Amino acid sequence: MASKNIVAKFTDEEKLSKALTRLNDKKVNILDVYGPFATHDILKKVTRESRLPYMAILYGITAIILMFAFLYYTTVIDYPISYGGKPIFSFPPMVVLLFLITILLTTILSTLTFHGRSLIFPGKPADIMDESVTDDAFFLVLDQNYNPEEIKVWLQEDGADEVTEKEI
Amino acid sequence: MNIVFSVLILIGIAAVITGFLTDEKRTWANILLNNYYFISLSMGALLFYSLQFITNSGWSAVLQRVPQALGGFLPVGAVLMLLMFFGLPQVYEWAHHGITETDKLIAHKSPFLNVPFFMIRMVVYFVLFLSVGFMLRKYAKLQDKNSDLKYYERSRYYAQVYIFVGAIFFSFASKDWIMTIDSHWYSTMFGFRNMIYSMYYGTAAIILVILFVRSQGYLKEIKEAHFHDLGRYLFRFSIVWGYLWFMQFLIIWYANIPELTVYYQPRFLGEWQIIFYAELFLNFVIPFIVMMSDDVGKKPKVLLTISIMLLIGLWLNIYMQIMPGAYGPMIFGFTELGIFLGYAGLFMGIVFFALSKVPLIPKNHPYLEESLHHHI
Repeated sequence: MASKNIVAKFTDEEKLSKALTRLNDKKVNILDVYGPFATHDILKKVTRESRLPYMAILYGITAIILMFAFLYYTTVIDYPISYGGKPIFSFPPMVVLLFLITILLTTILSTLTFHGRSLIFPGKPADIMDESVTDDAFFLVLDQNYNPEEIKVWLQEDGADEVTEKEI
Repeated sequence: MNIVFSVLILIGIAAVITGFLTDEKRTWANILLNNYYFISLSMGALLFYSLQFITNSGWSAVLQRVPQALGGFLPVGAVLMLLMFFGLPQVYEWAHHGITETDKLIAHKSPFLNVPFFMIRMVVYFVLFLSVGFMLRKYAKLQDKNSDLKYYERSRYYAQVYIFVGAIFFSFASKDWIMTIDSHWYSTMFGFRNMIYSMYYGTAAIILVILFVRSQGYLKEIKEAHFHDLGRYLFRFSIVWGYLWFMQFLIIWYANIPELTVYYQPRFLGEWQIIFYAELFLNFVIPFIVMMSDDVGKKPKVLLTISIMLLIGLWLNIYMQIMPGAYGPMIFGFTELGIFLGYAGLFMGIVFFALSKVPLIPKNHPYLEESLHHHI
């Protein structure tokens, strides 16, 4: 099958980092890296642009507008009450609510977006590609678009313990 | 550089002399403003320095000489602040001769607010700040000569002391020096607020000094990741600034008690309104929005702009805390600008002198290797 991926197992993150540098230089598309712990170095070399922050700021702006509209409707239009001689529409007491609701809605909506985008939900069985990824091994996953034989040689050179082809 | 500093100091002296010849009250208010401005930068930098020790931070080891040098202004600031003794009645209402007979509230507060006790408190604050600050400097110097870890432990011990001494007594000092100008008014969070502000602006001053020293070809070890962390400091403190600023305002606005609103009346509704909003935008709104993107903190040019803006913001902040009570009408002229330039020249001269006295990179610091390889 053409959709088989190249999977390389590394037990040393330094070697994986070296391999990633070489693959990045050759502009090979890296699909993902699985590992038992996070390292800044590898994260930097794999991470692609995440659009989640842009969604978060969009949610934040939406939330602040909605909350302002709600507060304005309740305190000014629907049920105006004069508290302690303050003007009916006064901004300072709204600030705290705007601030809190913005944070709350942004957090909840971002969490939902993240789960929806990466197709995970509570109760989903864990998707573990190999038992050793929870212990001591890193797995580098590549697609077949680049010359696979050449990539295998590079990975072996950079110290991969095992290079296989697997469907993921 | 020394010529620039000397010229600035001369401008300052000229401004003080012309100020005393034309308007004594205004000049004393400006001297207090600038004393507090630069003492608060020093205190903020030293609190930042101490914070690195008590949190066992590794990333900042390479730049720790800079906050320490900023703290070097403190002894000079103490002397200049003690000179305020001659101008107390000009600035503080409670120090007027015979005010206790006509003003019942000040008479009630007079066991605390009187000239001898005020001066005693000021001396006590400075003795505490300077003695602990001196110990920090001493052990940092000893560490350069000796690789024994015990000097680091001593530094950390005094950093712990300094956090408490600085935080508690600088809060009291802010209340004493600034809040009592409006002696009928009080705010319980005033001291704490100003102490936290000082850390915000202290960080901005640290960034500016680092950028200047780097432009001269030193401290190239400070890399993108360090700027990123300093930028995060600024961003977090901008939120804290906005929070504390708004909390004092909201409570007074809500309660609407005349003896409290008297402070905000000229500032929020009177002729000072423009500075009220300018201060809010410079210190909170613009830094908060600009620094919101995480990548921005990595760019030295953005940090430079924001830091310069914050130092202007601090001036406006203290200007608005002092001037309505101590002088009255809003005024800006040669006295304000000249005295500020003079103090700035003195401050920079002392900071760069202190920086040149010791190696720019601390030797034998246990976290130095970690700091040199800091990356995110």
